Amino acid sequence: MSNADIALMAHLMRRAGFGATRDELEQLVGQGYENVVENLLNPGDAGVMPDDVIRRYHSEMAEMRELNSAGAYWMYRMVTTRNQLEEKLALFWHGLFATGYSKLNQANALVNQITTFRRHSLGSYKTMLVELSKDPAMIIWLDNHDNHRDNINENYGRELLELFSMGVGNYTEDDIKECARAFTGWTLGNVEYMSTRASRDSIWPYSRINWHFNYRDYDHDDGEKTFLGHTGNFNGEDIIDIIVQQEATARFVCTRLFQFFAADDVNEAGEAVISDMMATYFASEYEIRSVMRTLFNSDYFRSEESRFARVKGPVELVVGAVRMAGTYQEPTFGADQLARQAMYMGQGIFQPPSVEGWHEGAEWIDSGALVERVNFVGRELGDPSNPGVRAIIDRMSRQSAGALSPEEQVSACADLIGPLELSEGTFTSIREFASEQGPADLRDGSRTEADEQRIANLLRLLTATREYQLA
Amino acid sequence: MTTATAVSAGPMEYLKTIGVTTNQSGRGFINPYDCGFTNDGRIMVLNHADAARTALIRIGVLNWDEEYLGEFSKGTGRGEGQWTLPIGMTISNDQRIHVTDEHLHRVTVFDTDGDFVRMWGEKGDGAGQLNGPAGVAVAADGTVYVAEQYNHRVQVFTSEGEPVSIWGEFGDGDGQFNMPWGLALDTTGNVYVADWRNDRIQKFTKDGQHLTTYGSSGTGDGEFSRPSAVAVDSEGYIYVADWGNERIQLLDSDGHFIQSLRGQATLSKWAQDFMSVNPDEYNTRQIANLVPDLPDHLDTPYLISAQTEPYFWGPVSLRLDPEERLFVVEANRHRIQVYQRRKD
Repeated sequence: MSNADIALMAHLMRRAGFGATRDELEQLVGQGYENVVENLLNPGDAGVMPDDVIRRYHSEMAEMRELNSAGAYWMYRMVTTRNQLEEKLALFWHGLFATGYSKLNQANALVNQITTFRRHSLGSYKTMLVELSKDPAMIIWLDNHDNHRDNINENYGRELLELFSMGVGNYTEDDIKECARAFTGWTLGNVEYMSTRASRDSIWPYSRINWHFNYRDYDHDDGEKTFLGHTGNFNGEDIIDIIVQQEATARFVCTRLFQFFAADDVNEAGEAVISDMMATYFASEYEIRSVMRTLFNSDYFRSEESRFARVKGPVELVVGAVRMAGTYQEPTFGADQLARQAMYMGQGIFQPPSVEGWHEGAEWIDSGALVERVNFVGRELGDPSNPGVRAIIDRMSRQSAGALSPEEQVSACADLIGPLELSEGTFTSIREFASEQGPADLRDGSRTEADEQRIANLLRLLTATREYQLA
Repeated sequence: MTTATAVSAGPMEYLKTIGVTTNQSGRGFINPYDCGFTNDGRIMVLNHADAARTALIRIGVLNWDEEYLGEFSKGTGRGEGQWTLPIGMTISNDQRIHVTDEHLHRVTVFDTDGDFVRMWGEKGDGAGQLNGPAGVAVAADGTVYVAEQYNHRVQVFTSEGEPVSIWGEFGDGDGQFNMPWGLALDTTGNVYVADWRNDRIQKFTKDGQHLTTYGSSGTGDGEFSRPSAVAVDSEGYIYVADWGNERIQLLDSDGHFIQSLRGQATLSKWAQDFMSVNPDEYNTRQIANLVPDLPDHLDTPYLISAQTEPYFWGPVSLRLDPEERLFVVEANRHRIQVYQRRKD
């Protein structure tokens, strides 16, 4: 098993998921790259922390009333799932179809929205857009409950075209109006009561009542519409059928997927990959699974050029650190901190800054966010009592023929936490710290708590490096 | 469309609903987890809240006429009488309130004025130690029974908190447990345990000898999904909070199914007060269908209850008052639905 194989698999798992431990990487390399990709694309039993166990321990996650508890509930799943791509894609769709708690006052509806994303994340983009249009949280978020047969509200129709499919410049204002007409009558059950409650966020008698989709035939405009050059008595499904056939839609969704999973910045080589993804999009009748297969198996994605070409988003960072540290595998007191930490770093789950979602890439990093990132990850990976940290120390112990020199300590830690490709400057700085700490003898019989803490200190320091902040 | 199981015919009659949601101190409940009754007619309700709002943990005091009489709390922390995640509560014949705390791994005893009396327990699996104490019951002679979810056992204490005996271990055989939750005593002192993750109720003698088991996994009559609580009335009828199925089942004294309840909450007195000062909310509520047909993907009892306000959502405890009215404590809806078995 070569170091190159490990590095490639680590790259795949950082992008298609939230990262993997060395034990996991070795197992995955044994399966072969293409097989791992297929397993990611065809998820089986997720093996996540069971809902009953979560709800028994966390009353707030049973009721799903409070924002950060709902976020942490999702993060439990990200932390424990075997289907990492499924959750990573759900996170991608949450950023693309950004829906926020502030207008809904209904965390449970947002959790259900993520379930919908998960259910359709690898399937047809056409189905995804239809289900998105029926999603109660989206209906309230973009006011489609106020989109009536005799008085249209364009908000959802506009964003469906601008932010969820084609992008500006590919349709007219008339297309927006016709699109909105087609989605009249797409609303919630008991919409008058539910929208009153959502807008007031009063202390409801018996807490939230979750929402469900309801189609009001009597409120739907069934008249003739002309949309993107097509004419007919279109309903919402017909509009989406036209939308997904557009090249602009293919370019939009493939580019967003590329930027989330491959590289923040698209260069010439990246453009070629996006073209291939678009061809797959049409050949597969808009199937996201096929599009992702094209991306992950591309030479570009597998090349060293695409590695560490993305800044880890806050949720990615938090979940990746927790998975590596092996914490939060069981219901944990104060687990809502997981969501709060990501929020402090600039990505509050269910709290996108606007309907456009988060600005990603280098914008994730500012001085305040960086401190939060370093502090949280440092706490997780700097504690030798955490199972994942102990596993790293145990592995170094098994590989030790004698006391480890500062160079050996830094190299081993960087290898097992990534592998990270440290710049010369970073390596030198951390080696100097290791030299000040002194040698670490991890061999059985020689190993002391101080030795273990030295390694944990190095792991903590490594999480503060530029290299660790990149995926 | 998803439709919920209808309430089956039987002797259980709905009486009323008590409670309203609150996010602050004072009248109302915040994730109630248990209740009990004093000899002078007061109803004590244990408000569990959650890890982010431990300052709201308290025992609220009211009466059958829904007059709010006050509350007491010793605050959050590890000190005497303080709590973090209180789960179970019962009031003994000598008017001592026993509360379990699954985070602090201990039992705390108060008098009915809310003053601290004693506490015992620490995390561990030895005698006198606890791991995730949940349900608690006190026999007529003062013997205290505690279900320990993470030790998968029942531990018996004297009224002073001295360990007496331990039953059970992890497993699904007779006398074994998987994360037990609620427990109850019948009039002869037999002990019924809601064997939560084994989807069954086990019955023991007061000394821990296994007598019988009721139920198995499922959604049918007499089947359970994660039962959280059990109560037994003076005639031996058994009431089970079928938590995972979001329903209550009534069994006869031999464990035969009689009736299933899905819930039929109405506005409590406090909820009516709320509606009277929020007319826009009340007016839109009047035209709403609170038992709607749901899309097919919303097909689990949990999801259905989340959308259907009158149904039980998170029934975590069952308690019978001195008149044998059944109090169904709903954590997720911050209320108590009250029923009574008709004795023809």
